[in-house]
Amino acid sequence: MTSIPLAGRPDKRTRRILARTVVGLLLAGYALISVYPFLWMISAAFKDQLEVVSGGHLIPKNPTLDTLIDTWNKLHFFDFFLNSLLVTLYTVVLTLVVYAAAGYAFAVLRFPGRAFLSRMFVALLFVPGVTVMLPIVLLENEMGILGTHWGLVLPFVNGGAPLSILLMTGAFNAIPAELRDSARVDGAGEFRIFLNIYLPLAQPALITVALLTAIPTWNEYLLTRVSLNDQSTFTLPLGLQTLAAENVPHYNNLMAGALIVVIPVVLLFVCLQRYFVNGLVGAVKG
Amino acid sequence: MTTAPRTTAHGEAGGDGASRTPPAGGRAAKSGRASGGRPPRRRFGTEAVTGYLFVAPAVVLFAVMGLYTIGYGFLLSFASWNGFMPHWTWVGLDNYADLLWRSPIYAPRVRSAGLNTLWVMISVPLLTVLVSFPLAILLGQARRMQSILRSVFFLPYVTSGIAVFFAWQYILQPDGAVNLLLDQLGLGSLQQPQGWLGNPDTALPTMIVVTVWGHVPVAMLLYLTGLQTIDRSLLEAAELDGAGWWRTNLSVVWPLLRPITAIVVLLNLRDSLQGFQTFLVMTNGGPGDHTNVLGLEAYSLAFLKQLRPTLGLASALGWLLFAAALVLALINLRALRSKT
Repeated sequence: MTSIPLAGRPDKRTRRILARTVVGLLLAGYALISVYPFLWMISAAFKDQLEVVSGGHLIPKNPTLDTLIDTWNKLHFFDFFLNSLLVTLYTVVLTLVVYAAAGYAFAVLRFPGRAFLSRMFVALLFVPGVTVMLPIVLLENEMGILGTHWGLVLPFVNGGAPLSILLMTGAFNAIPAELRDSARVDGAGEFRIFLNIYLPLAQPALITVALLTAIPTWNEYLLTRVSLNDQSTFTLPLGLQTLAAENVPHYNNLMAGALIVVIPVVLLFVCLQRYFVNGLVGAVKG
Repeated sequence: MTTAPRTTAHGEAGGDGASRTPPAGGRAAKSGRASGGRPPRRRFGTEAVTGYLFVAPAVVLFAVMGLYTIGYGFLLSFASWNGFMPHWTWVGLDNYADLLWRSPIYAPRVRSAGLNTLWVMISVPLLTVLVSFPLAILLGQARRMQSILRSVFFLPYVTSGIAVFFAWQYILQPDGAVNLLLDQLGLGSLQQPQGWLGNPDTALPTMIVVTVWGHVPVAMLLYLTGLQTIDRSLLEAAELDGAGWWRTNLSVVWPLLRPITAIVVLLNLRDSLQGFQTFLVMTNGGPGDHTNVLGLEAYSLAFLKQLRPTLGLASALGWLLFAAALVLALINLRALRSKT
């Protein structure tokens, strides 16, 4: 080992530097591919109508905020924004409440039918969304909640069941049972153990579930499109859809709207991404 | 308490409460004996009741939004209905037969959509693996910037939805950014004057690329976590044995990560079979049904046919998709088991 000639070293070093440069370039290249549509989205959102039609350049020559303001006002985007926020919030809160409880039962409590029930929820993962969408719409029509926000929230919550239950069960399983035992000795009831011991300890999993629920809900378009009719109930994706459905789509307005839709989820992700990454990993290992 | 073996202590913390349910006591005693000589549990009844209370909201929601709708859809697949008539007309297996071979209107559409779906199902998982595996390896070697790059690579997943699909549509236009880029790179001959989605020959491949772009982030993340579980000493041993970078990754890392590949392929197969949102937003099946896929066909049969009695057909197609997904999942599961 010690007999390696000294002259070989610089050669090895340049090779390493070269390799690192190639790796860096490849990674930067794919990063560019990842953001490419967003670059043009931002670009178009700051162009006026004339400039966006002439096309051909990424950096706007006379960047303007008018397009964003115009789009925001034109279609009551603020209302759509609030609607999206409400639907997402209801869905996330309900998901957390319902599936934290279910996950606790599956992980900690023993009762007949437990294995069957938990398997049933996982099997739900394989039912195509489009197969149940029509019956859901028909059922909600009967129940009189079609077109309301609850008509969206309930199927969304149910649709998130497999992943949420998987994650919550896994998180509760990882909590040492001795904690529960000693709490029982101290006379704590099941509900208090759940609230005061298990929920706080499972906080990272709760945040992961919240994030994994919030992102698809914010972006949901398929069920929303066939459920909502009244413009006052529209969420942002539907608002965007109405923008696009104009006879001649104005791409500067459309991209400004797209930017408005995208920014909140990106912010949410950036703030909470640590939980997101860990959670996806946990979901796969589970 | 502390001397109890963990397996029994886990979730069976009982024995300190008063017994109120003698019938359940028998079962508890049995399971207590089976799990290592613990004194019989006496709180089984209360624990079961609490258990049911805790799962009740999830089960009720599932019964209404899941079981009921699944059953309803299943029945509807044997009927003919337009959504407005007061009664269904029972047609037996006609809907399935019409979709698969009999109807001169629907069978050819299903066949061409099925062919498109097949292309998507073959190319999307393949390309996703081909891109995300090397990407994860490279990212694993990056020292600085790793977490920033990871976030950037994740953008397509986080924003996946109508907004980003419109952005793609915008840059794929005839005078859009992609044609412009090709021109600037001196590849002007590759430009698509009709737009990438307007030309029937490029529309489906373009949609496949956009889909892969959206699927790479999760696959990459899965590979990245798989990489972290690989024992460093294995890689060092390979290096000592004289294996270069390529050799190590292809002959050591790739086989070790095969279970991850199986998961990535399964997720992608499922999404390729069932997903159609990208297609609905960006092409709506066009031009001339060249990008029509089975999920989109079922969606338009269900929601976009106005008064024609196509709801039963839509349900039947949904069930065919479900059956296909189930078969795929079983095959994949078997492959996964045999390899691990």
